[in-house]
Amino acid sequence: MKEDKRQKDIGPSTMPQFWQATLRIAEKDLRSEFRRSYEVLSILTFAVGSILICSFAWSSGGGTAEPEVTAATLWIILFFASILTFTTSFTREADRGTLGGLKTLPCSPVAILIGKIFYGIVLLFLVECVLIPFSIIFLNLDLGGGLPLLLLVCFLGATGLSFAGSFVSGLLMFSEGKTLLLSFLLIPICMPVLIPSVLATEKILRGSGIAGLIPELKLLIAFLFLIAAIMILTFKFVLEE
Amino acid sequence: MSNNTVAVEIIKVSKRYGYLQALKSVSLSIAKGEFVAFSGHNGAGKTTLLKIIATHISPSSGTVKIFGDDAFKSSSEIRRRIGLVTHVSFLYDELTVRENLLFYARLFSVEGEAFLEIIEALGMKRWYNVPVKQLSHGLRKRADIARALIHDPDLILLDEPFTGLDTNTCDVLVEYLKTQNGKVILISSHSIEWSKRICDKSILLERGEIVNGRPF
Repeated sequence: MKEDKRQKDIGPSTMPQFWQATLRIAEKDLRSEFRRSYEVLSILTFAVGSILICSFAWSSGGGTAEPEVTAATLWIILFFASILTFTTSFTREADRGTLGGLKTLPCSPVAILIGKIFYGIVLLFLVECVLIPFSIIFLNLDLGGGLPLLLLVCFLGATGLSFAGSFVSGLLMFSEGKTLLLSFLLIPICMPVLIPSVLATEKILRGSGIAGLIPELKLLIAFLFLIAAIMILTFKFVLEE
Repeated sequence: MSNNTVAVEIIKVSKRYGYLQALKSVSLSIAKGEFVAFSGHNGAGKTTLLKIIATHISPSSGTVKIFGDDAFKSSSEIRRRIGLVTHVSFLYDELTVRENLLFYARLFSVEGEAFLEIIEALGMKRWYNVPVKQLSHGLRKRADIARALIHDPDLILLDEPFTGLDTNTCDVLVEYLKTQNGKVILISSHSIEWSKRICDKSILLERGEIVNGRPF
């Protein structure tokens, strides 16, 4: 009977097992992150503090700025929040040695990466859930009926930043000066996410509907597919020491 | 040695890190049920060999077969049958011992908390719900060994398991490993005294090559 159980266990990994592994890794990371609450709080404090500073800076202009300035501000804050998030995504695992534990798991390296991506998406979306209300209050954002569209753009943008940030974090986890390198590398790699996200947000703030956002949404989705393809093809080599 | 009895087969495995040759054309066979100790000086290649067997790193050349399967062609499935303990703990500091074990157990498709008997055997019941960061080195090592064994692996790899442990903890570990009949245990250790209590034979490595293998 033990042999039968063993044969069943050694079957090829299935898709449900793949997604189960990604969700468990994401859940583990989120649980650890919230136990280390000082890191999440520092990211949220950075986001809120940035909004408050912008509010003070624009107070002479009635507390609002042009839509393109507001859009850029929101995404600059999100981009730097993503740097804070992904600086530790894989590097902490490598520095503490727990990466070895992930490598003992009977799952694809891509499952580990996607688990980290899910973790990043949740954290960035949490930042956005704080950032948007504070922006509405302190930057006098008038979204009209554009809130669902803004949430869609924010979600796609967070997903793109998470894809890029997790992948770059994995690439750099064995490097010296990884924190500095991550910041430098993320800027060009995230441009295909940031540019359409900023443009789409500006259009939403100017009252555009979803039809007006199609080019930007296409670019965001295309980037997601492109980087996903690159990750799937290359990530198993990234985990090799 | 017939294929049915061979658990680990290493055929001319070499590993190079840049200019450093960590392993040089190492070949060996380990049968099912054998408990083997790897010994040698620092830098002899013991850890590298264990990591290659564990499919953590791939060899620069050569073939590794685990229970008859190529270890790197079917690594995900092979890892279900391997338990690895290194000198670095694979446990997450912020999580409790229970949470860590549940994380690994679920990913190895272990249902419920079937590993509780391992926790009791290793004397960890009292610290089961304690965050790992609050554990001493010895307790953390015991918890890490529990992590490596929760999925009932057929091949147990231990890299310096006795380092930094007190005598009592070493005793607990040795007595537990002795109960793993039918499994293959490979230990890399400087401690001949403790290795002798578990293992049937010793393989000496020097500068990336096997010098000799003999019974204890």
